[in-house]
Amino acid sequence: MAEDLNWAVGGEAGDGIDSTGKIFAQALARAGRHVFTSKDFASRIRGGYTAYKIRTAVEDVQSVVDRLDILVALTQRTIDENVDELHDGSAIIYDGERSWEADIPDGATAVDVPLKSLAEEAGGAIMRNIVALGAACEITGFDVEYLDEALEKRFGGKGSKIVQNNKAAARAGQEYVQANYDLDLGYDLEVTDEDYVLLNGNEAIGMGALAAGCRFYAGYPITPATSIMEYLTGRIEEYGGHVVQAEDELSAINMALGAARGGARSMTATSGAGVDLMTETFGLVATSETPLVITDVQRSGPSTGMPTKQEQGDLNMALYAGHGEVPRFVVAPTTITECFWKTIKAFNLAEKYNTPVFLVSDLAMSVTEQTFPPEAFDMDDVEIDRGKLVDDDGVDEWLDSQGRFRAHAVTDDGVSPRAKPGTVDGAHMSTGLEHDELGRRTEAQDERVRQVDKRNRKVETAKNTEEWEYRDFGDPDADNLVISWGSNEGALVEALEYLEDDGIDVRVISVPYIFPRPDLTEEIEAAEETIVVECNATGQFADVIEHDTLTRVKRINKYTGVRFKADELAEEITDQLSEEVPA
Amino acid sequence: MSSDVRFTDFKSDKQPTWCPGCGDFGTMNGMMKALAGTGNDPDNTFVVAGIGCSGKIGTYMHSYALHGVHGRALPVGTGVKMARPDIEVMVAGGDGDGYSIGAGHFVHAVRRNVDMSYVVMDNRIYGLTKGQASPTSRSDFETSTTPEGPQQPPVNPLALALASGATFIAQSFASDALRHQEIVEAAIEHDGFGFVNVFSPCVTFNDVDTYDYFRDTLVDLEEAGHDPNDYESAKEVILDADKEYQGVMYQDEQSVPYHEQHGVTEDMSEIPDGAPEDAMDLVREFY
Ligand SMILES: Cc1ncc(C[n+]2csc(CCOP(=O)(O)OP(=O)(O)O)c2C)c(N)n1
Ligand code: SF4
Ligand SMILES: [Mg+2]
Repeated sequence: MAEDLNWAVGGEAGDGIDSTGKIFAQALARAGRHVFTSKDFASRIRGGYTAYKIRTAVEDVQSVVDRLDILVALTQRTIDENVDELHDGSAIIYDGERSWEADIPDGATAVDVPLKSLAEEAGGAIMRNIVALGAACEITGFDVEYLDEALEKRFGGKGSKIVQNNKAAARAGQEYVQANYDLDLGYDLEVTDEDYVLLNGNEAIGMGALAAGCRFYAGYPITPATSIMEYLTGRIEEYGGHVVQAEDELSAINMALGAARGGARSMTATSGAGVDLMTETFGLVATSETPLVITDVQRSGPSTGMPTKQEQGDLNMALYAGHGEVPRFVVAPTTITECFWKTIKAFNLAEKYNTPVFLVSDLAMSVTEQTFPPEAFDMDDVEIDRGKLVDDDGVDEWLDSQGRFRAHAVTDDGVSPRAKPGTVDGAHMSTGLEHDELGRRTEAQDERVRQVDKRNRKVETAKNTEEWEYRDFGDPDADNLVISWGSNEGALVEALEYLEDDGIDVRVISVPYIFPRPDLTEEIEAAEETIVVECNATGQFADVIEHDTLTRVKRINKYTGVRFKADELAEEITDQLSEEVPA
Repeated sequence: MSSDVRFTDFKSDKQPTWCPGCGDFGTMNGMMKALAGTGNDPDNTFVVAGIGCSGKIGTYMHSYALHGVHGRALPVGTGVKMARPDIEVMVAGGDGDGYSIGAGHFVHAVRRNVDMSYVVMDNRIYGLTKGQASPTSRSDFETSTTPEGPQQPPVNPLALALASGATFIAQSFASDALRHQEIVEAAIEHDGFGFVNVFSPCVTFNDVDTYDYFRDTLVDLEEAGHDPNDYESAKEVILDADKEYQGVMYQDEQSVPYHEQHGVTEDMSEIPDGAPEDAMDLVREFY
């Protein structure tokens, strides 16, 4: 198991919890430590409780666990929310001068630090969280200079005075603990020479879009997709692009479609409720053969559900939404780096096959910040494939005997050429109506069949020529097979270590392609037991796998609104392996 | 591109299937003439068509075009224009398409003031679905689904546009070919969102808002000496429920189109073969 430290800061919404947590995460990244973060919102207790949690280790960390070592608690509520995760070696940093009498659970060490007064001495009460970070440095044996670097990044833009005050506040916290406590909880945070970047899944999607040449984004704000729009705003302009906040998702997808008809690489992103509205236009994207990337950052449904909670409940929607039969690709990145690479792949697939591509992520991945070596996003490895985009010269090949552009030409691979406006002799109409090769409406039976077959043939071509590989972890010869999609990968990979410790061999297959998807028949036949893990109640991916392989699988489903944790998954897998296979 | 573009270049070889006498023939002719008359050619023009009898123009015209989903033509046109400021964008559709299912988009397209023209072929009826009440149908207009008439006041699209901050509001009549063409040309040439509501009679399902009715009642604003740059008199004619007008009602000469306001001036269709040159800077931001 990784030598990990689990740290959290919690309080009321408005206490600056997010930025405090992020500063500490950045300090750890500067120290060459890996970081995996998660965010808690009000759950067991009503109100504005929020927490930022960090798991850190020298080795890669990819999951949260049910253990908390250091807790910065700005409210009693923070302690109550996390009481199950505290243990004998835990330390709780709190401010005894505040109006509450901290109720510290048995065994945990109370570290009472006058956060507010120390902050005031350093220049302002607003810095009390920074005092707490200084205290946390002392308890964990972490050099406060790394915190300085993070403070410079965070406050550098506000002038050197502010930076100096914050550094002083951090030192005040550190020195207070040094002077008043003689703690030996055994935490001694090792540092390395590595230097990591820290980002979340939505930032990775946004960055992937920019790398892929996306120049137009239209969206309507919705948690947890909005941060993609926020990331692109202010950055996409540097490349000549633009972000529009549309009046609704009906408009957003149609604007994105329009930009794509103009020849731009274009994207929209939303979450389930927005996908419902956008569904209206899916068929048009497909029949007009428009390259478009549609991102769904899933959250808990149905309806408004639990809007700030994790779920993977939109798989069926991504696969099937839209009336009639809508050819599409569905790609679901499994990690934050994959959010970047699969976004680029999505843009290439869209333009190579003139087809909608659904990029399906989820809330957990969108808010988790994780460290990576910058090479994980090596821009030199970015490839752009614009498919059969023709220019003035290329048009000729696709004109009919009367000089008309065959925008929906029936081809062997099913892929027709694409001419953008301004291309001489390329003028043509595309439509949601069934049409002939020229895009003109038709209801002739043979034309209809030719176009439907052609569109489906594109998907066949893609199936046969693109890579739809899965990601393979653990023992490839293990009798036990666990299959997952989307963001559960990290927790599963770490669960393997727990299982190994218990002498249980497991192979994990993590599937980033939902359609087309890898055929897992052989893998499932080779295993004695197969379990499909996903964050929904009904097992939508498990259904798909059973359908593909004609084999019953076991299921682990979580729909509490909280992502899987590594230790919890190891336990669940162990339990399931001893159960009967469902009939 | 070429100066010798003729309006027939904008005609596709599909024969319109509109009912003989349908107003949409005249409306479309005027649009094609206006496009040619303002120096556009089919390869540099993008037409977005709604769904309805009106929406069929996408098929009958020749240009880059998209015939989309009912009510969403304006967002599509907005996207095309933002990606391609160099392309002439014209959006066309019916009164149902624009003022009912697409009404939300109408308000916001007007507000955005994207530099494109929007031609609504207003027949005060749902033509394609065979004669139900539309948002511009008269309150007492009897149809299959409103046997007593809708018993609701019709939408005043011109007032809706004005209230939404329009910079160009006009109305024309399909059968007054010359004026219709002139007015659409003015909408195309306007720096911003050029909105034209066209009386385009449905001869099959609307026996009230007929050619004769409009011929008898239309007041031409130009002849009446109306000053479209004067907001107050624009408001007066737009809110005047007693008369039918044709002409440019309002034009804001200070109009700054969206792309100028927001610096969206580049052809977004051109991108490098790989990641942008300085793309590693995007990664370094996350240190
Ligand atoms: C989502 C959706 N709902 C309903 C329809 C059916 N429909 C097609 S056209 C139309 C109304 C058209 O009226 P209008 O926009 O005035 O066009 P017109 O036919 O009069 O030119 C309707 C309701 C549709 N195509 N799509
Ligand atoms: S039904 Fe009316 S609007 Fe439609 S084509 Fe016939 S006359 Fe024109
Ligand atoms: Mg109509």
